[in-house]
Amino acid sequence: METLTDLAPGKTAVVTELRFGDADAVRLMEFGFVPGVSVSCQRRVPMGDLSVYQLDGFQITLRRETASRIVVRMRAEAEGSDHV
Amino acid sequence: MSSAHAAHAAPAPASLADRRVVAICGAPNVGKSTFFNRLTGLRQKVANYPGITVEKRIGSIELPDGQAVDLIDLPGIVGLHPRSEDERISMDVLRGTSKTLPKPSAAILLLDSTTLEAQLRLVPEILGFGVPTLVVLNMADDLAARGGSVDEAVIEKQVGAPVALVSARLGTGMERVRDFLQGTLSPPPPVQLPVLNNIPAERQWAGTVAREASYHPPEPSLWGRRLDTIFLHPVGGPLFFLAVVVAVFQSIFTLAVPMMDTVEALIATSGGWLGAVLPDSILKGLLLDGIWGGVGSVVIFLPQILILFLFVGILEDSGYLARAAAIADRSMRSVGLEGRSFIPLLSAYACAVPAIMAARTVENQRDRLATIFIAPLTTCSARLPVYALLIAAFIPERPILGPFLGTRATVLLGLYAVGFLAACLTAFALKSTVLKSKPMPFMLPLPAYRLPTLRSLSYRLLDRSKIFLRRAGTVIMVATIVLWFLASVPYSNGSPPDIGDSLAGSIGKTIEPLVEPLGLNWKVAIGLITSLAAREVIVGTLGTIYGMETDEDSPALQDALRKDLSFGSAIALLLYFAFAMQCMSTVAIVRRETGGWRWPIAQFAYMLILAYVSGLAAYRIFG
Repeated sequence: METLTDLAPGKTAVVTELRFGDADAVRLMEFGFVPGVSVSCQRRVPMGDLSVYQLDGFQITLRRETASRIVVRMRAEAEGSDHV
Repeated sequence: MSSAHAAHAAPAPASLADRRVVAICGAPNVGKSTFFNRLTGLRQKVANYPGITVEKRIGSIELPDGQAVDLIDLPGIVGLHPRSEDERISMDVLRGTSKTLPKPSAAILLLDSTTLEAQLRLVPEILGFGVPTLVVLNMADDLAARGGSVDEAVIEKQVGAPVALVSARLGTGMERVRDFLQGTLSPPPPVQLPVLNNIPAERQWAGTVAREASYHPPEPSLWGRRLDTIFLHPVGGPLFFLAVVVAVFQSIFTLAVPMMDTVEALIATSGGWLGAVLPDSILKGLLLDGIWGGVGSVVIFLPQILILFLFVGILEDSGYLARAAAIADRSMRSVGLEGRSFIPLLSAYACAVPAIMAARTVENQRDRLATIFIAPLTTCSARLPVYALLIAAFIPERPILGPFLGTRATVLLGLYAVGFLAACLTAFALKSTVLKSKPMPFMLPLPAYRLPTLRSLSYRLLDRSKIFLRRAGTVIMVATIVLWFLASVPYSNGSPPDIGDSLAGSIGKTIEPLVEPLGLNWKVAIGLITSLAAREVIVGTLGTIYGMETDEDSPALQDALRKDLSFGSAIALLLYFAFAMQCMSTVAIVRRETGGWRWPIAQFAYMLILAYVSGLAAYRIFG
């Protein structure tokens, strides 16, 4: 099982599962982390363990602890970007 | 004092009952405030940073047909499940369950057209409130500039509500918004929308609508990416952050000096002119020594405050501050606070009052209390006049890093750092004891970089000047006048007493034993009492006391202080002001936000002890 923390900068993956309690999962979905959505890792933030992710055309930073509970399926380079 | 926000909350709620009320809603950072300003002409804080709109803001406009409409700018929402106090406010208004506002007769939902797929999900959620709604696709300029496009007519058919493609920044597409407000826009036939409370289904629907409307998302901004490469560089990022902070503090002392000299000269000239015109009387003494001397010595610091806010405005409007918050996350977490607490703490550099209100954006109630508790320890702009006066009087200016950093800026920076450190340690103590709580997932959106507009920056400075001068004209002036009277009685043989024999002097001498361990005298003691109203009052008080003591060719306040205080006692006074909660407005707002006296009293006592003990230590060490 791979999570967003396994996603290297420049790579893209598809969200498959959110391992949070109900309220927290809703919050993440409201911020765009819906199963099926493509997320790419942009970069790591210096000092600390934040990473910048891009989804649906906007950027958001997550802590490693949060990202480690978002299960993803890695995407091969060949797959084009598509919509959910 | 009242925040910038409250200053513009216009008409009385009474008028709302018989007027049309239109609510403006949408996710954070989609340009709601800019849109609101574009419609109302009312000025308010517009920033490229999530969580700026906390208070409800109301602006009135008159339509060409004579109808009056009240617009409410609601705090940002990301969905129907409010977590923080400000989101709850928005939900209450939209549902019609707000105690202070009626259910709006119409709503305008703002979406960021550059991230339409993420944003469309809000359409069925907001339409579900059953209020006629206009869907505004904002940031059309940004969308087009980066090669994106959308057919808004198709969106309109797909969502079954009128749609307008708008650039609030440039003012394009606003005619349709005005038509909607006038009620002349005929809505499209309603359609079947996805079932609510199923976010994946809503998101899937959003994807379909975007596809149908041949939505082309904009290309990622290349220069935005380049800027991130610099600002979030492992070494360069933190260094840049540090360099920015140093540059701001240095310019507070270097850039501001010529402007301050001008203000000082203006006050001196006008005072001299008044002195020549007015006949000798008690009133003349009050006007010259009391008001001109007291209020004038505070007004001199306006340029320094404006320079600080110019820099902060640029950082905030450009979107850089969100990156700085990301870099600072680690230090926030090491004291046990949620990352979102960084936002209110950042606004506390201006004033603790809006910062404490902004703590409503903090989702976790215990984190919110901790944020409120530590906000007044952050160095607010009311401390700046006190710091600037004492630093200029006691710290000789010497270069440390050539022209880039001098001793005075270093000391000022140190005081900001001390306040920040105290805030962090206090938070840590609270979060590991009485306010312990479980961590929540942390998400911090990074908004796109935008060039700050001259308009928005000048509004900010204008607002700041107004707030500062209003304070000088009210709290500070009243405190100064009261002090002047206390210092002028009892009259003996038809002339005012020596300040030491006056009522103010006796009060000061009575409490002198309390401040003596800090190396302070009765004159400063009077200032510590008067500045309970607001910190900068002490500058005016000292201006009045020393101005009354000396004759026409009085030496500047700085020289007088240097004669009266030792270096160690000056440091003790600086630290006292860094920590003590010398601000009645803050006490009042904490009481309101926490719903009782428990927190403000605990906070006041804690900060007073901190202030006294550190002042004591400083005087022992520096003598």
